[in-house]
Amino acid sequence: MKCMNPIEEELAPPVACDVKLPMGLLGFEQMKEYLLVSNPVEEPFRWLRVKDNPALAFVVIEPFVAFPEYHPDIPQADVEFLGLASPEDASVYTIVTVHAGRRATINLKGPIVINRNTGLGKQVIIANAATYSVQHPLPDAEVAA
Amino acid sequence: MLILSRKSGESIVVDGRIHVKIVRVEGDVVKVGISAPPDVPVHRLEIYEEIQRSNQEALANQGQPLPRLAPRKKPEQAGQTKHPVAGPPAGT
Repeated sequence: MKCMNPIEEELAPPVACDVKLPMGLLGFEQMKEYLLVSNPVEEPFRWLRVKDNPALAFVVIEPFVAFPEYHPDIPQADVEFLGLASPEDASVYTIVTVHAGRRATINLKGPIVINRNTGLGKQVIIANAATYSVQHPLPDAEVAA
Repeated sequence: MLILSRKSGESIVVDGRIHVKIVRVEGDVVKVGISAPPDVPVHRLEIYEEIQRSNQEALANQGQPLPRLAPRKKPEQAGQTKHPVAGPPAGT
């Protein structure tokens, strides 16, 4: 996927990668172009920003960082849609919901799968969605006061 | 809403390209087979709505501060870099 440093900084600047979600996110089908912004000081969290409306952004995280046992079963039709030749081609992110009361959860039923070579992505409803929650507590997460 | 009666094994075609077939009827469970082009997403409504709500809630709360993740306590991860890569295979 195409990435660039939007800001000239000496120390570890944020990196923004183009991500195309031709089907949008569920409930946001009309928004198809995003930037995946990684800022070292915010790791392991990243931002998925709507490209032409930076005010609209989702916090995402690679779920395996917080939940190593997660094993999403990506439907074959989605594997083909994304052009994934091997599992290594895929980046998997889950959307983080930050709740009031210092609590954060991740959506494990509908991860965003991105072909890391092309930047093509999709919010996938995994075949084993029944196994997982849309509000899986982020372990050890504590929202800064 | 258009309401059609179909028997087991019969189909409906939508827009000339989406085929919906009644595969089997067992009591109050109907098995439905759907053939659609890859650009037509097909989902169970309740899961679709659940994820849609979750997306909307995630966006609505974006003004909240980012959570902090306490470091995981497993000793073998002590030397892990701060740029972990995706773990288990994503496709099957």
